[in-house]
Amino acid sequence: MHPEEAGRLVSAAAAGDAAAWKELVESFSGLVWSVTRGYRLNAADAADVFQTVWLRLAEHVGRIRSPDQVGTWLATTARHESLRVARASTRIILTDSPDLLDSGLSDEHSPEQALLDSEQTALNIDRATQMWRALGQLSARCQQLLRVLTATPPPSYAEVAAALDMPVGSIGPTRARCLDRLRRQLVGQVSRTS
Amino acid sequence: MGGPVRHEPDDTDLEEELRRAVARLDGVPPPLFQAAVDSYTWRAVDAELAELVFDSLVDSGRAAAVRGPQQTRLLSFEANGLGIDVEVSGTESTRTLIGQIVPPQPASVEVRQGDEVTALDADELGRFRSGPLGSGPFRLGFSVGTDLARRRVATEWIAI
Repeated sequence: MHPEEAGRLVSAAAAGDAAAWKELVESFSGLVWSVTRGYRLNAADAADVFQTVWLRLAEHVGRIRSPDQVGTWLATTARHESLRVARASTRIILTDSPDLLDSGLSDEHSPEQALLDSEQTALNIDRATQMWRALGQLSARCQQLLRVLTATPPPSYAEVAAALDMPVGSIGPTRARCLDRLRRQLVGQVSRTS
Repeated sequence: MGGPVRHEPDDTDLEEELRRAVARLDGVPPPLFQAAVDSYTWRAVDAELAELVFDSLVDSGRAAAVRGPQQTRLLSFEANGLGIDVEVSGTESTRTLIGQIVPPQPASVEVRQGDEVTALDADELGRFRSGPLGSGPFRLGFSVGTDLARRRVATEWIAI
């Protein structure tokens, strides 16, 4: 969404336009959800953060300093609230090792399950599942970046930077590296099962 | 400069393919989407917003540690000289609040979680206590002062 359009929707929502609000939700809910999942929150915690972020925006819609940067505001708020809830969660992450971590991408996917699944024939596993599993085999950093980048609709790099607290300039090169690793992982999946 | 030649269209295609997979397997749950739309109706019009100025979970300075089930959490909200300190205690299914308005004064209090609103009173010393809270974000609303000088204050939403 073009920043000017986003700013227009924010102003309209601040003035009482419920349709403008709904359009904001349609445009940015994918981003907010992706940030929570990128921070490896389980479904319940991700839901809490998602709701909190939108409730906060409803409250602040008339006070945002840069209405056309509302996407960045949402990404930043999602980041702060994800970190807050991650601290409160009883499931404490003690290591960054992808082997020991629940991938957080799906409650059904554990690394162990992924290993078992990969030994089955891949012929009847559809492409989406292949992609999902390949993502789950990447480093924590790549999983997080790609999870946020692949929100629907696609976020701007400014929004990704705000979500992950990384410099905008490093997103391009890291994206390229992570997509390369994803590509290799997919090739590896195919060759392992053929 | 070593390494294979990168083809940006390939990267774009792969990213788009992953985007479709993610949308299919881990998209925004429809009830959450609807709740976000409904959030608009719960904004506190005609009330001052009391911002979260302290959260013991984040601001206490201690390293993050495993939380015991009975550990309390302290929250402080502030709106133009009116403060509200809240102590959240209990386990996931039986969380309760003990609150204190600063400076101490009586008030009508509302605990709001989504559609559910519970009314309480803060006593002359500004103290109030809630019953068990459900899960998910909550906020507190206050009406303080006299008929001639009434002030309505609502805290930020927060998930506990």
